[in-house]
Amino acid sequence: MDFFELLKESLPMLTQGLVLTLQLAFISLAFAMVIGIVASLMGMSKNPVLRAINRVFVAIIRGTPLLVQGFFIYFGITGLLGIRISAFAAGTIALSLNAGGYLSEIFRGGIQAVDPGQREAARSLGLSARQTTWRIIIPQAIRICIPSVVNQWCITIKDTSIISVIGLAELTKMGQTIIARTYRSFEVWIMVGIMYFIVIWLLTLLARFVEKKVSLDD
Amino acid sequence: MTSTGAVKVEIRGLHKSFGKNEVLRGIDCDIHTGEVVCVIGPSGSGKSTFLRCINCLEEPSAGTVRVDGNLMDENAKNIDELREDVGMVFQHFNLFPHLSVMENLTIAPTLRKKMSEDEAKQVGMELLGRVGLADKADAKPNSLSGGQKQRVAIARALAMKPGLMLFDEPTSALDPEMVGEVLDVMRSLAKEGMTMVIVTHEMGFARQVSDRVLFIDQGVIAEEGTPAEVFDHPQNERTKSFLAKVLEA
Repeated sequence: MDFFELLKESLPMLTQGLVLTLQLAFISLAFAMVIGIVASLMGMSKNPVLRAINRVFVAIIRGTPLLVQGFFIYFGITGLLGIRISAFAAGTIALSLNAGGYLSEIFRGGIQAVDPGQREAARSLGLSARQTTWRIIIPQAIRICIPSVVNQWCITIKDTSIISVIGLAELTKMGQTIIARTYRSFEVWIMVGIMYFIVIWLLTLLARFVEKKVSLDD
Repeated sequence: MTSTGAVKVEIRGLHKSFGKNEVLRGIDCDIHTGEVVCVIGPSGSGKSTFLRCINCLEEPSAGTVRVDGNLMDENAKNIDELREDVGMVFQHFNLFPHLSVMENLTIAPTLRKKMSEDEAKQVGMELLGRVGLADKADAKPNSLSGGQKQRVAIARALAMKPGLMLFDEPTSALDPEMVGEVLDVMRSLAKEGMTMVIVTHEMGFARQVSDRVLFIDQGVIAEEGTPAEVFDHPQNERTKSFLAKVLEA
């Protein structure tokens, strides 16, 4: 079987895996953005309890491997509570929390990176604290955050492959399955790699376009 | 011009500390409507802190600041309204970089004074014309020179039609050849009777436009008077040594 025959035979399975990878990544990232925003607001809150919750959350996410988080949610928590959830649900929860923790730090950093003079200028014009935050600080923080947020998206898309170990037939798992049958490790991993690469590359192009659109220069 | 107008700003027993560092150590001062007051003094003397206490960007550790009789207090319900009447121009311009020049001028009037977009733009165009930048309405702040940025910043503050303007070293971050264009705008404002408090290192300008000069040193007003009194016949030893240093440069 030459390369193209192998490709032709593998493509349906790999595509199926890619679809699951994308579903897992996009649903997780949507939740992660919400978690990240809420957690970053907690992290900057005046309330010390909310700040502490954020700090503990981020410390746990950063301090433990994604693989352990996935196993803990899929086997640990479900075992303790005596419930069953699908591998897809467990994977989504693990990836959402994981990316959410990192994104919350990115958002907090972005907001704190806006020049304090911006807040002062807005307040000196009479803008309220709320108007200042939403009209002046957040729009600039978003621009600062874009590269790091896109970076996190890329990481999370690829982290779906780690989550495959709890039994999700996503792209990496599909690759393994094909190799187990064909023993064509070299070619199949190239195919899998290229598929991840194309997704990330398209995302990067989109990000570059958005960045240009909202640039602070003429 | 003499200080015959009503009291615009009343400062009593103003103290400000940052941690253990006491920056302002008891300042009493009245500023009258229509008066132009220049604040001079060595760096670190508390000039900028004094200015920033007037619109409550810094909260006094003790003492009071009143503008038109209203206490400037960060926790007061009407602090935003009170600040609308006190324009401020910063050393580093602090233009909003994500907004066009025109949007910088219209954001506060539309949000605070409920002015319509069109009306705010009309006011904005007039002000940009006044500072000589009508052609830059659609530009982004980052494309402007320092002098142009500062003129936009002045126009932005004026768009709220403030009764008092504070200038915090408005020319200190500018290249020398751009200082003049900013001082010209300030000069014309002074001529129109705007009440102004200006922290500056431009001694020639201070002498020319001020009704009164305050020399602040080590957190107190060490000397005050007309420009002629302070510049030509300083009484305080510290004023003398400060002026000797800056004027020989």
